[in-house]
Amino acid sequence: MNAPKRDGHLDGHLPPEHPLSPHAKYRDLPPVGRLLSNYAVRDLWDTDFARLPWPLARQRRRARDFAERHMAPIADALDLAPHLAPGECHPDARALLREAGRQGWLSYFLPRPLGSMPWSTLAYPAIWQCSVIVEEFSRSCGGLMLLLSAHHLGAMPLLLAGNARQLLVDLPSVYRRCERGDPHLMAFAITEPGAGSDAEDGHGAATYRPGVVATPTAGGWLLNGRKCYISGGDLATSVTVFAALQGEGMESWTCFHVDAATPGFRGARTERKMGMRASGAAELEFVDVFVPHARVVGALRQGWAINRATLNASRIPVAAMGVGLARAATEAALDFARRYTLGGKPLVHYQEVQLQLATMVAETRAIRALVWQEARHAWRPRQLHASLAKFHATDVAQRVCEMAMDLVADHGVLHEQRVEKIFRDVRLTRIFEGTNQVNRLSLVEDWQGQLLDADHSMGV
Amino acid sequence: MIIGHDDTQLMLAEVGRFARERVATAAARPERPMGDDQLATLSSEAQALGVLPSLGDEGCALWEHPANAASMAFSIGALRHIGHANAGVAFAWHRTALAHRLATHLGITHHASGALDLALAPTGHYGLARTSLAHWLRRAPSDAAPAGADDARLMADWLDRQSCATTVIAPRAWNTLLWPAWHEGRFAWRLVDREQLDAPQCRAQHGLDELAAFTVRDVAPASVALPHDDATALHALAHALALDWLGLLAIAVGALERGQQMAVAFAAMRQQGGVLIARHPAVQRMLSDIDGARRQADLALASFGAAIDDIDLGAVASARATLHPMLCDAANQVVQVHGGIGYMSDAGPEKILRDLNVLKLQGGGVLAAHAFVAGWAEVFA
Ligand SMILES: Cc1cc2nc3c(=O)[nH]c(=O)nc-3n(C[C@H](O)[C@H](O)[C@H](O)COP(=O)(O)OP(=O)(O)OC[C@H]3O[C@@H](n4cnc5c(N)ncnc54)[C@H](O)[C@@H]3O)c2cc1C
Repeated sequence: MNAPKRDGHLDGHLPPEHPLSPHAKYRDLPPVGRLLSNYAVRDLWDTDFARLPWPLARQRRRARDFAERHMAPIADALDLAPHLAPGECHPDARALLREAGRQGWLSYFLPRPLGSMPWSTLAYPAIWQCSVIVEEFSRSCGGLMLLLSAHHLGAMPLLLAGNARQLLVDLPSVYRRCERGDPHLMAFAITEPGAGSDAEDGHGAATYRPGVVATPTAGGWLLNGRKCYISGGDLATSVTVFAALQGEGMESWTCFHVDAATPGFRGARTERKMGMRASGAAELEFVDVFVPHARVVGALRQGWAINRATLNASRIPVAAMGVGLARAATEAALDFARRYTLGGKPLVHYQEVQLQLATMVAETRAIRALVWQEARHAWRPRQLHASLAKFHATDVAQRVCEMAMDLVADHGVLHEQRVEKIFRDVRLTRIFEGTNQVNRLSLVEDWQGQLLDADHSMGV
Repeated sequence: MIIGHDDTQLMLAEVGRFARERVATAAARPERPMGDDQLATLSSEAQALGVLPSLGDEGCALWEHPANAASMAFSIGALRHIGHANAGVAFAWHRTALAHRLATHLGITHHASGALDLALAPTGHYGLARTSLAHWLRRAPSDAAPAGADDARLMADWLDRQSCATTVIAPRAWNTLLWPAWHEGRFAWRLVDREQLDAPQCRAQHGLDELAAFTVRDVAPASVALPHDDATALHALAHALALDWLGLLAIAVGALERGQQMAVAFAAMRQQGGVLIARHPAVQRMLSDIDGARRQADLALASFGAAIDDIDLGAVASARATLHPMLCDAANQVVQVHGGIGYMSDAGPEKILRDLNVLKLQGGGVLAAHAFVAGWAEVFA
């Protein structure tokens, strides 16, 4: 039942004008005391907005506006739409991609004129900008966020390891098409049917016999094999594909920038997913797919390093997905608790509800603080920091979503209440970009030099 | 019909076989929920088998003889078996059987045309009325002292079927709803035809895909309440809650056991890091968490295989508050052990997780169960 508007105070709390209500009294303290204690009560989003450097804050507001205007209205329809065959794109998703491209959301990793990144944000790590944007997009719809974000993951190897031509010509031309509203989407393909964790963890990779293999041919390479679960792989115009060189192991992994129009490349199937349903996960088939030498990214046998550097760059934004989804769940629960009445008053008056909401808001803000803390310094994102942020933020985010569902209780199962979709979306963040178990191991891998050094007294 | 322990084992073996051979087979494709016709066919078979009650026939259907410990153990065990095969089917049968049981208890005659005709909403529109429901139920029926004004106000609101919509999950074909309601200043049960209700079907629900969710409210003020006294009505409500919560728990444990089998089988087959993943401590830990949760829930269920009047409602609420979140965590681990494939609807684990989430949120949900437990204990504190 909808709550009528009520003034005054929440049950169990004093009204602001009460003599024992502290906040209103701070302004009566002597000047120094007032200076040190009298704070403005602002909306929490605005509080964090003000804490960001202004170029990032501006991007944050733009991203929120875009997400509210273009993503939120189509989120439900795409979540509930029938499963699409490989290569098909829902018209609403297609329109969103065009608009996102035009507004620069598919090209923000390079500054103008190469991309759409405002020059003012160059003073901060691109990962930070990306994390701020990803949080806003995730809050509106996990699936649509992934539809837009998988593209940046696909482009990351070009940024991290591309030669001058790839960086200054190829990637900008991808970006320009996006900005013209005719998106050239990219995807990132490391996972194979036989290697999920083994594609993310060196110890596993060491024993894995590669499934996608590149054979030398005149003028380039022929790729054969299968990749699976590739986000946006069937819609992509080009894909960064990691393959081993014929007769060699995973240490020969090489990154190839594959044009999806090349004969032999096929989106074989798309998965039916629990959530993030606006984004497809495709199985890609390679049968003698020709890739010219010029489209090798970095050097031959640099693929493993490029892969891991890409993951170090992307795992902080994945943590930000957790923040956005936890925030969406908290906001949905807040909305419900303020609107829904029991016993003649909105649920928010009840202490058990207040406790639940307080924990949710604290957890959400704590993981945002973690993400911003790591992103702020992510000029050269360290594996330990990126993995830590990813597994911790996403684990916590799922707990927050569960708390929201518990609060909405019997109604929480209804799609209309939003939290059930958010739960289905957040569940993925603990699996992809390395399961949260593998991310824990990844933290330790990066730490092992110090762990093994008996003379080093370790700090945490 | 009164049954003994040996009968229970035989009957459970029979239900187990039926669940495996008929229900699990029909539900073999988790991404394609069974249709209404198939659910109706299976339900008729379950009726013929005696698992679901039939009008006029006395037997040993689910929840038919809660005063008998062996019969309770049978119902719990049977729902566990059916939940193992498919949680949606188990939920539909559990609620419909419970509705029949309550109707009998209350002396109501109804004319069900199909096995799944009768739906049940055992709780009010949100949660469990904080501590008020527990207070209300805990008062001895003969207690002359009036309930506290706050409790009465909350109960009246909780059971206000007109202003507040209640979420009901049921087979799409339900025709009649049994639910507790507030009627002329007191608590009563009502049996209402679907056409007398405003009951739009929701677009989608989180789990139990074989069924549908409805937001239900009375169109007109409740005019007909069932003829019975306060004590009978309250007694029926206490039974309804205890049996509902036990049923939800039993189904959840069955579903989790299936998830556990999938996770163990997957871990013994999938190789990563140069070995079967079952050899990785990370995976072993998850498998152990799953096993621990299932065993604890099984232990609790075993302790409730008693005559209904010997079961403490607060203890059931407490088990529910503790065990459902634990079972959901375990179902999450089932997904996690599977890695990416666990997220795909054609694999199975993600449906088990969604179904367990729904079971947790039914019957008032677990957040409310904590308040209920507190209210239950408080009266005699
Ligand atoms: C929807 C979706 C989108 C995706 N998008 C992409 C994409 O765009 N590009 C891409 O390349 N990939 C993508 N992936 C793949 C994703 O990164 C993998 O699913 C993930 O790394 C896990 O691999 P897996 O599924 O093979 O699970 P497995 O590796 O088989 O893991 C199974 C279980 O074993 C555990 N395990 C495995 N190895 C170890 C070990 N050494 N030590 C301890 N425990 C271990 C895991 O933690 C997990 O619990 C996507 C996946 C999904 C589900």
